[in-house]
Amino acid sequence: MAVPTITARQMLDKMNKGEDLLILDVRNEEDYKDWKIEGQKITSINIPYFDFLDNENVADDQIPKDTQVVTVCAKGGSSEYVAELLEKKGYKVASLTGGMKAWSQVYNDVLVYQDDQMKIYQVIRPAKGCLSYVIISEGEAAIVDPNRHIDVYLELVEREGANVKHILDSHLHADHISGGPAIAEKTGGEYYITRSDLQGVPPYPYKPLEEHKHIQFGNVEVEVLAIETPGHTPGSVSFLVNDRFMLSGDTIFVGGLGRPDLGGKAYEWAEMLYDTVFQKLSNLADDILVLPAHYADIQEMNENGIVGALLGDIRKNNRAMQEITKEEFTEIVAGSAQMQTPPNYETIIEINKGQKRVSEEEATELEIGPNRCAVHHHG
Amino acid sequence: MKADVIVDAKGLSCPMPIVRAKKAMDQLESGQVKKLETTDQGSVRDFQSWVKQTNHELLNHFEEGGIYTFYVKKG
Repeated sequence: MAVPTITARQMLDKMNKGEDLLILDVRNEEDYKDWKIEGQKITSINIPYFDFLDNENVADDQIPKDTQVVTVCAKGGSSEYVAELLEKKGYKVASLTGGMKAWSQVYNDVLVYQDDQMKIYQVIRPAKGCLSYVIISEGEAAIVDPNRHIDVYLELVEREGANVKHILDSHLHADHISGGPAIAEKTGGEYYITRSDLQGVPPYPYKPLEEHKHIQFGNVEVEVLAIETPGHTPGSVSFLVNDRFMLSGDTIFVGGLGRPDLGGKAYEWAEMLYDTVFQKLSNLADDILVLPAHYADIQEMNENGIVGALLGDIRKNNRAMQEITKEEFTEIVAGSAQMQTPPNYETIIEINKGQKRVSEEEATELEIGPNRCAVHHHG
Repeated sequence: MKADVIVDAKGLSCPMPIVRAKKAMDQLESGQVKKLETTDQGSVRDFQSWVKQTNHELLNHFEEGGIYTFYVKKG
């Protein structure tokens, strides 16, 4: 009998419905610690598949027979092997087809806000904690920080009966390959990024955000204001939508600030981040909803499945955003950034600058693994 | 390095390299050496973790032209 399987899409749909799932991750301990499937209703355990070779009953006391179990490995081979063993023993089990590799490529969209004039969708890539946005107004769409699976965005825009007008990258991404230039090419929309992040002339057309501080679309005025918020990269910006929503890129997160060290200038950039936080952002109202480009922890997601928080609440909860000196701030931020870097970030930066081209398969391999762009310093 | 048994798992993907490796290991006497060759990069770390938690000993391992070779002494 064939081993029962589940696709990443089907699993994500179950998670969206709030179903309880027990993930039995059969990869080795290190890979599991590094990167795993997380969700609000997910219980996760790790027993490497090679443990089952010695003892087929190794998981018995950890798995209840009435719970839906999904076995997961890197690419779907070993999880099938374990699923087959467990199924024979009478467990409700399915193997995740394509494993973590497939999981890294599924997306979810959630409606954050709507009124008569506009809709804002948050597009979530749960495996990597990447967030992007689609804003729709009067049949026109702007896409912010899209990932490379561009059909996800194009289908959403089509569902809304809109045309893509603008594609914006808040900065040059280091953890994932941008879908920006590809969407622009396919739809005829304008692609924007800062000139200072590109540091050179890319092979694709773009409009420098330094010269386009007010971007408008829709019959109704929806204003996307680029306010420079350097820190994470020298050309990072945030987008302020109708003075109410701040698409903060990798500058501010629900649970922390962007890491400043990926350009090799941690202290210098941390000082820029300080100026951003205390001069540029301090003028913004507490009731602005901050919608970042990443989340690092499932706790950052609210009960509606949205990752976002009021600027006032973020200020209150983040020690680095309160009354401290520039020296203390730099120490906290640059100091806590000395952790592992995002996988393959130097290559990903080259691709996003248009200096390197890779195949679909290579792109998938490069993006495997968690994103590590945030610095956490609650408390 | 001399091996008492050679396991050729080239071209196989997870979990087969380790399944084969374990089967071969079961046939060996304590102190004998097994050589494993695999082309599956994903199983490299798995194999190292597996050896670590058994009482076998990883004598040597290297990669050459996309082939990962391991020498393991049975504990």
